[in-house]
Amino acid sequence: MPMSFMPKPDMPPGALTLLVLRVLQSGSLHGYAIAQRIHVLSSEVLAVEEGSLYPALQKILLKGWVTAEWGISETNRKVRFYRLTAAGRKQLQAEMSNYDRVTEAIQTILRTA
Amino acid sequence: MGELFRRLRYLLFHRRFDRELENEMEFHREMAARQGRDRDFGNTLRLREQSREAWGWTWIDRLFQDLRYAARILWRSPGFAFTAIGVLTIGIGVCVTGFTMLNFLVFSFLPVRDPASLVRLQRRSPEINTAETPYQSFLFYQAHTKTLSAMFATMGSPAMELDDDLKPVSIDFVTANYFTELGGTAETGRLLDPHRDDSAAAAPVVVLNYMFWQQRFGGDPSVIGRVIRLNKKPATIIGVISAFSANLDGNDANVYLPMKQQPYFVAGSTALTDVFSPGGVRMWGRLVPGVTVKASAEELLALTNDLRKLYPKLIWDKEYIHIDPGGHPTILQPEMLRAFALIAALLSLIFIVACANLGGLMMARSVTREHEISIRIAIGANRKRIFRQLFTESLLLALLGSFSGLTLSYMGLRIISSMNPTPAWVSFAPDWRVLLFVVGIAVLAALFFGLAPALQIARQRQRKTIVRQILVGAQIAASCVLLIVSGLLVHAVLHMMHTDPGFGYEQVIGVSPGLDSHGYTHQAAQSYIDTLRGRLLGLPGVRSVALSKISLLGNGYTAYMTEDIGGHAVNIYPNWVDTEFFKTMEIPLLRGRNFRPGETHAVIVSDSLARKLWPGQEALGQKFGDQKDLVVGIAGNARIKALNDGDAVEVYWAMQPSDMAAMTLLVKTAGAPDELPPMMKSIVETLDPKLFPYIWLLKSGFRDYTKILENTALGVSVLGMMAVLLASVGIIGLVAYAVSQRTKEIAIRLALGARPMHVLSVVLRQFLIPVLAGAVVGAMITAGVSQFLHKILFGISNLDPVGYAGGILVLIAIAAAAALLPARRALRVDPMSALHEE
Repeated sequence: MPMSFMPKPDMPPGALTLLVLRVLQSGSLHGYAIAQRIHVLSSEVLAVEEGSLYPALQKILLKGWVTAEWGISETNRKVRFYRLTAAGRKQLQAEMSNYDRVTEAIQTILRTA
Repeated sequence: MGELFRRLRYLLFHRRFDRELENEMEFHREMAARQGRDRDFGNTLRLREQSREAWGWTWIDRLFQDLRYAARILWRSPGFAFTAIGVLTIGIGVCVTGFTMLNFLVFSFLPVRDPASLVRLQRRSPEINTAETPYQSFLFYQAHTKTLSAMFATMGSPAMELDDDLKPVSIDFVTANYFTELGGTAETGRLLDPHRDDSAAAAPVVVLNYMFWQQRFGGDPSVIGRVIRLNKKPATIIGVISAFSANLDGNDANVYLPMKQQPYFVAGSTALTDVFSPGGVRMWGRLVPGVTVKASAEELLALTNDLRKLYPKLIWDKEYIHIDPGGHPTILQPEMLRAFALIAALLSLIFIVACANLGGLMMARSVTREHEISIRIAIGANRKRIFRQLFTESLLLALLGSFSGLTLSYMGLRIISSMNPTPAWVSFAPDWRVLLFVVGIAVLAALFFGLAPALQIARQRQRKTIVRQILVGAQIAASCVLLIVSGLLVHAVLHMMHTDPGFGYEQVIGVSPGLDSHGYTHQAAQSYIDTLRGRLLGLPGVRSVALSKISLLGNGYTAYMTEDIGGHAVNIYPNWVDTEFFKTMEIPLLRGRNFRPGETHAVIVSDSLARKLWPGQEALGQKFGDQKDLVVGIAGNARIKALNDGDAVEVYWAMQPSDMAAMTLLVKTAGAPDELPPMMKSIVETLDPKLFPYIWLLKSGFRDYTKILENTALGVSVLGMMAVLLASVGIIGLVAYAVSQRTKEIAIRLALGARPMHVLSVVLRQFLIPVLAGAVVGAMITAGVSQFLHKILFGISNLDPVGYAGGILVLIAIAAAAALLPARRALRVDPMSALHEE
């Protein structure tokens, strides 16, 4: 089980940012919830560890793609919730179409080569 | 932009952000634990640090960490820290002093109103430049300019007699708006007022300089209203300039008089009315806000061309007005740049010695830190981090040394300026430029002395003797340059004091009656000088009296023509003299003949000029210049007007009757001349009470010249000794280290019966090559750049073997002493105990 918690070493660079932005599209979440959501939605294939999630979140905050605001967690604790900004939405669109293009290209090569 | 803003906001509130992040990660772990994923999260501190890195500010944290660590390291080895800071204090302090002076002279502003808009205006043409403009021209520019909001002027004049004082006072005529334009304030009384003092008819008034008021009148405020006599003309003291008001261009006269009253004080002078009379005013102006220097120059050029219509003979071909920024204590001239560059080069040599010295010290020290560094690398520090830490240490040292150098330099300048008469507004307090320089030079020093050792240690590669040898060589080379330069200067001083300069000056008195400034015609001057000459020859002990148009040694200006002879620019010093001149000045006529009375178109050239113009030919009978002048005689070399310039050459013309009013008399006495001047003064004055002659001993003028050279030689020698002492401290340290490193080897050699000399040579061999190489390189560098020195060496060659040998010998002697001192320890090694130790 611990092995599944390791981030996949071959996760493409920038993919974590894309996933974080994507799961925040439907509403604001706190850090743990983001990790959980990615874990669950990927049918427990992808696991996001603290060591990579929080540096990524800081970077996204710095870029201005999300803002942090205080909220109350399900355990009644005061905690930071991340919400997508307009710039973040734009970035998500750009990254998603870019991702689609790249995967499509890779798929084409895998099929035809 | 937004990103930068967020970054800065983070920096500002980083504590809050950190707390929030910590709280958030704690929550994360809580939740994980709650969901049964109870496991080891690893180093939470490390995780938090990694997250923080995204904001890009961790370097600050590391910097503070490194600084704290560096401070602790230095604190723990006070001996090393003190030596290093001491070496740097000297090396950097010398440079900071140089820069502070430069900054004060050239970059800082004078304490006058709006100094940035002040400009100095001078007549120029491609061939001629002069500081002085006829007063009438000044009035013309002043009346017509629109790019200058105000113009004002000063006019120098020979010193005047105050009441019955023996010492004459220096005076300056200034336009009535001079003080109001500069925003000067009065210590007591009032300064000149454009409404009251701008008229020849106004009552004659005097304004005193603060320092002169203190010295002559003991700072007595009741002098206001007192009537004093200047050159026997009564005038009322109206005020004293405040100690905190500055004058322009270092122009500090004892007393200031209104320009319009110049004819009252200098009877017969036509300086204010006649544009062709000798002497003129120095012009200053204030740019209208928003007007560029270029626009103003264009306007003044147009005005100059208008002026040409009024005075066709006055205005030169292609004349224009040259504009300099005027609000600084010194107005930078191109020829000063060379002197500044020379001084900067000499000072930076001290800096190089200090850095190389400290570099060697750091290398030796790195051995003792080997252990510490290897532990740190073993527990996971990366090399980059180690390097950064070591370099931070160097930087901290350099900054400490730099600021203590600044303190030393400031105190030194304060002491020097308190020992010399200095205006109260002069301050050497560091401004932003000096502080920037101090920080900049600290970084430079850290790079010089800290970079190589830090790299070596971080790479854990040590005991490279070659680097240490290069450092020793660099110190020796830089010291060598300074010592050779001081050797050359010392030799020049000795040469000047003990060799015949080619003319006699010990028994000559100069008498300048100043006939031209009192409106004498040639004819009147001729008869006056004839009478005066007769009276002077009648004095007991007077041997001969000669006339010279150019005043010599101790008075008057220097004029020279620069001519291109055989591809070299040669400065030719001209003079117009009578038949008695060569006899009186004891300048030998080598060939040909003396002038004949009333002769025109005759020229006598110095031997040096004849050799340059007509190498290998007979100079007598040659035509000089494009005139009809023929060379009739060859005189011995006598660089009276340019003692310091060994390349200077002279040319003499027979004086013409039209020169008469400008002539100076040279009186040669049989015995000591010291008693005669008072008698001469009364003779000149009884012949015409209007005149106030300037009388001086040529030997005191000569002594002033030697004094300048002596001071230069002294200054450079002090620098040279500082460099060589720093270098020898470095050598002592390195030799002591080498001995301590090789104790075992020496012990074995001694045990096997090696001779003391042999042991010494083993220890010292590694220093022999760098010292010798350094001396050779230093001598070569000096020889390569020494033609810059040529003009201040008073006739000594810039490759003078005595100067070079002297400098190198002193250097080798001190280096050898520095090496032998610690090396003797090698001989005292006790083989038994040394070998038992390990």
